[in-house]
Amino acid sequence: MTDTLTRRRSTEEIARSRPAWQRRLTSDRAARLTFYVVAFLFWIALAGLFERIPGPPSVVDSLVEEFRRGEVFGNFADTFYRFGIGVALSVGVGILVGVVIGLSPMARAFLESPVLVGLSIPAIMWAFLTVMWFGFGHTSPIVTTFLTAVPFVILNVAQGVQGVSRDLRDMSSSYGVPLGRRVRELVLPAVAGYVVAGLRFAVIMGWNGVLLAEWFGGSGGAGYRARFWYDANQFAGFAAWVVLFVGVIIILDQLLLERLSRRMFRWRDATH
Amino acid sequence: MARPVIEAPPTTPAGTWLEGEELARRAAARTRRKRLALLVAGWAAMLGIWQVAAYYLPFGTLPNPLEVSVEMWEIVASGALVSDFLASVLKTFAGFGVAVLIGAPVGYLMGRYGYWRAFFLDGVTVAGTIPALTYAVLSLIIFGLSNLGPVLAVALVSTPYVALNVAEGIRGVDQNLVKMSQAFGRSPQQIRREVFIPTIVPYLFAAVRMSFAVAWKVEALTEVFGGTNGVGFQIRTRYQLFDITGVIAWMALFIVFMLLIERLLLRKLEQRVLAWRPEERAAR
Amino acid sequence: MAVLTVNDLCKTFGAGTARSNRVLDHISFDVRGQTFVSVVGPSGCGKSTLLNIISGVETHTSGDVSVTSDEGRPARLGYVFQDPRLLPWRTVRKNMLYVQDKDDDQARRRVSTYLDMVGLGQHGDFFPGQLSGGMQQRVGIARAFAVEPDLLIMDEPFSHLDAITARGLRAQLQDIWAQSRKTVVFVTHDVVEAVELSDRIIVLQPGGRIFEDIPIDLPRPRRQSDPAVATLQAEVLARLEKMKAITPQAATAV
Repeated sequence: MTDTLTRRRSTEEIARSRPAWQRRLTSDRAARLTFYVVAFLFWIALAGLFERIPGPPSVVDSLVEEFRRGEVFGNFADTFYRFGIGVALSVGVGILVGVVIGLSPMARAFLESPVLVGLSIPAIMWAFLTVMWFGFGHTSPIVTTFLTAVPFVILNVAQGVQGVSRDLRDMSSSYGVPLGRRVRELVLPAVAGYVVAGLRFAVIMGWNGVLLAEWFGGSGGAGYRARFWYDANQFAGFAAWVVLFVGVIIILDQLLLERLSRRMFRWRDATH
Repeated sequence: MARPVIEAPPTTPAGTWLEGEELARRAAARTRRKRLALLVAGWAAMLGIWQVAAYYLPFGTLPNPLEVSVEMWEIVASGALVSDFLASVLKTFAGFGVAVLIGAPVGYLMGRYGYWRAFFLDGVTVAGTIPALTYAVLSLIIFGLSNLGPVLAVALVSTPYVALNVAEGIRGVDQNLVKMSQAFGRSPQQIRREVFIPTIVPYLFAAVRMSFAVAWKVEALTEVFGGTNGVGFQIRTRYQLFDITGVIAWMALFIVFMLLIERLLLRKLEQRVLAWRPEERAAR
Repeated sequence: MAVLTVNDLCKTFGAGTARSNRVLDHISFDVRGQTFVSVVGPSGCGKSTLLNIISGVETHTSGDVSVTSDEGRPARLGYVFQDPRLLPWRTVRKNMLYVQDKDDDQARRRVSTYLDMVGLGQHGDFFPGQLSGGMQQRVGIARAFAVEPDLLIMDEPFSHLDAITARGLRAQLQDIWAQSRKTVVFVTHDVVEAVELSDRIIVLQPGGRIFEDIPIDLPRPRRQSDPAVATLQAEVLARLEKMKAITPQAATAV
């Protein structure tokens, strides 16, 4: 009978077998850096492969050129004005309708279909229709932003309100917690996170909506300017605008809303 | 006359247990009828608002529901529907296939290894925030007027969803099952096949269903910009002819069709693959 | 001949940091073949950590652990956990085959045999979600025996079950063990259970040291109603009480 010994390695042995430089190379920071380098190389490779894709130098050139011409700030001011009003309206209306749906099953039955239909209508439809209705101007992008964003806000808020646990509500009423404090301590904290989630959706959807409406609207704005270069077959100019409006939405979403959302959902994520 | 101190309860209590059940069932049926009535009222209100808006908006800019439904019927009757729908659906699914092929492995890596999570997270987050318009135009720039444009746009839009959902699924894997497998000396391949992949399948379905709603819109959008066939191509053609009735009719048909695919096809597939889940068995 | 050798084993969580926590402190013991050994101790004495190290799920900080197998192949381990830990998407039979090294006729026969032994011969094609908690745990036990392990590790397998189910399963475990005579390391906080099942009891004290190593020399099968069993149980409990008096940390536990 031949015996075999199955030995288990101890942590000390394993640590000795893995040098420090290896650990540094596999750190999170190194991984992110590697990603950016790889993505950049990928872009250069794509630009080399397809002649229609502009490479980094020509995009930077166009970007500088647009800034020099003073096209950037004016157009973004227009876009932000429309986007801001549209998103503000959709958040206001969305919270109102969302709360009503969340509280009353009957309101839910009534409003469910309109919200679902609203969710499934593409932004391009609203862009087409509002341009026909309101012509070229601020109204079409504002309404498009509002209409594409509002169903998402409603959905999220309604979900949040429904999620306020019935048990907690019963607990509060059995302890006789006054209404004001109940709203402040129970409903608002529970719903706030969902409102922020809805706001994030509204911002991402609305941003697409406003750009589309401007693309077809022809009354200035970032979307209009991007189309100008696209129509002129100057893809570097188009790409410069893509960099701008992708940059803006990422700053808005990641730096502002993501932080806000993490703050609002702190209680939920603390458990795991 | 002395007034009773305790008034009679508003409903007489059920005499027997069975009677109580009967009452409860009747109440449930009443609620259901009320729900249905409200659902119909919701649709009626929607169509009503549309009708009123069509009446007040300048002539020709918004057809009323009747005109649109007549147009929808004509499109269906003419048979143009089948070829264009088929084209759009095929492109959507092709893009989807690419998204799953790329997104699922990326999500798997992100869920399993800290290094790959850090590597991909920024890219996936950014890709998920980019407006659909960008993807549509970008795909056109790369492929010009061809069927590959919409496929690429769908793939670009759906991949981040798939990756994030799969990563979430992997992170939610039951660590106890992994430890069990290790304790019994299972190989990493076996653990992958028997523990990780079955865990992520529900998440994959959720991702597919979630991103499907976005994907077909992007597909149509790309066709509007530069398709050579498909629903979006039809919509653009009608738009260029200022035929708003046609635009809305095509869109409405497409919405109905895509919702049907989403609800019926994907849901059925999901039920079949996830037969082991108690809630799926109950649903069948 | 020793199947399991543990020599000078230490485990420190978060070693080298301010919050380092030593849970096993220079532990040494051997387990001979075909014996049933229980490891008993209050919660937090490092029992589960010890099992995880033996099974290779966790690494130890220093010292030596080895499992011996015959026939020149790597040691095979069987494991029964507190919870059943079955793959919910596989049937009972597939779950048991999953941990077999080869999916051949022999393995299938073993699976059927042990499934019959735990009284679930008719349930091979059920999904775990369709079985009760006690039945699932029986599948877990059958699964562990069916790999014909060199060493079978059981981590408080009955602690999540109600008292009556647990009692039935203990009797069943004794029968299966009597037939198969696998080497078992059984962890529990329940001294009564340990006395009923094992040939030897290793008592761990808080801080992760061996307090006592008690041989249990009683004829099998043992039943709760047997006065000899009850006497010995009382005696072991009394010794544990003594441990509480000596080590102040243990006073809160047990």
